[in-house]
Amino acid sequence: MARDSTARKLDETPPLRGVKRRSFGGGKPPPPVRPHVPFASNLWLAVLMLLGAEAMFFAGLIGAFLVFRIANPVWPPPFQPRLPIEVTAVNTVILLASAFTIRLGLRAVQRGDRSRLVHLLSWTAAAGAIFLTIQGFEWFRLLHFGLTLSSSIYGGLFYTIIGCHALHVFGALIWLLIVWQKARAGKYTRQNYVGLQTCSMYWVFVVGLWPLLYGLVYLY
Amino acid sequence: MMKKYFCVAMLMLAWAVNHPVTTWACSVCFTGTGDAVTDGFNASVLFLMVTPYAVVGSIVGGLVFAYRRASRKRAQAESEAIEHFALIQEDGLT
Repeated sequence: MARDSTARKLDETPPLRGVKRRSFGGGKPPPPVRPHVPFASNLWLAVLMLLGAEAMFFAGLIGAFLVFRIANPVWPPPFQPRLPIEVTAVNTVILLASAFTIRLGLRAVQRGDRSRLVHLLSWTAAAGAIFLTIQGFEWFRLLHFGLTLSSSIYGGLFYTIIGCHALHVFGALIWLLIVWQKARAGKYTRQNYVGLQTCSMYWVFVVGLWPLLYGLVYLY
Repeated sequence: MMKKYFCVAMLMLAWAVNHPVTTWACSVCFTGTGDAVTDGFNASVLFLMVTPYAVVGSIVGGLVFAYRRASRKRAQAESEAIEHFALIQEDGLT
């Protein structure tokens, strides 16, 4: 009895998007059975929310910077070392190139090219590591010249904003190395690469934030 | 009733426009416009006021983009599957 009613329910189900269901007298075959796939994965949504929170965090820091910068007509303050604009400009180009390579890596995995993906992720990680190394070297020089966290508002703002960004790049680099290891192991396929996609989102966010911070802290 | 509230709101707005000094809510706006500190706070407030809208707008934009892309892919997969079965039927394989 139960089977009869179930069969009746199935038989009375309206056809999907105008496609005729198979009947005993002939007709077109039924559409293929496919599972319901959500338009965005939970991890993708979580990273999107994380990026929103990160954007607000940096907005707070930029807001504080704007108050002090506009309130002080003479900037940088007297007797404070100048920031290395040229070296950091080169560093900016290196970091921007890393965003380009990780996006190319995402395209490579969409085509199913695993070796190219691993290659491009290696370049991305190398660019991130070079950026952090140059930043660290410049920081040591600035500390040597007397610009410390407590030397002035200028130093405090510089180390807080640029330091927070460097910490984010460091975190993104660790995430990228984990993704790189997984890519080498062949964990990402054409159908399933959400881990790589979210890492790419975070990396591009961190990279995209840097020109804004460079323009504000170094050039403004 | 609504008309009364609207009139009161308009009167308050007109008064605020005519007496801007007394309606400054910021505790550091005492020096008036043109002061560097005030300008700094104003710029910061404006920036922080705009940023949440930009962030939320970006998130909503990302969701809309993902939804449209998924819909497009699903429609393409369905049409390909229907064409595939139609070809099988024409070949007499079913």
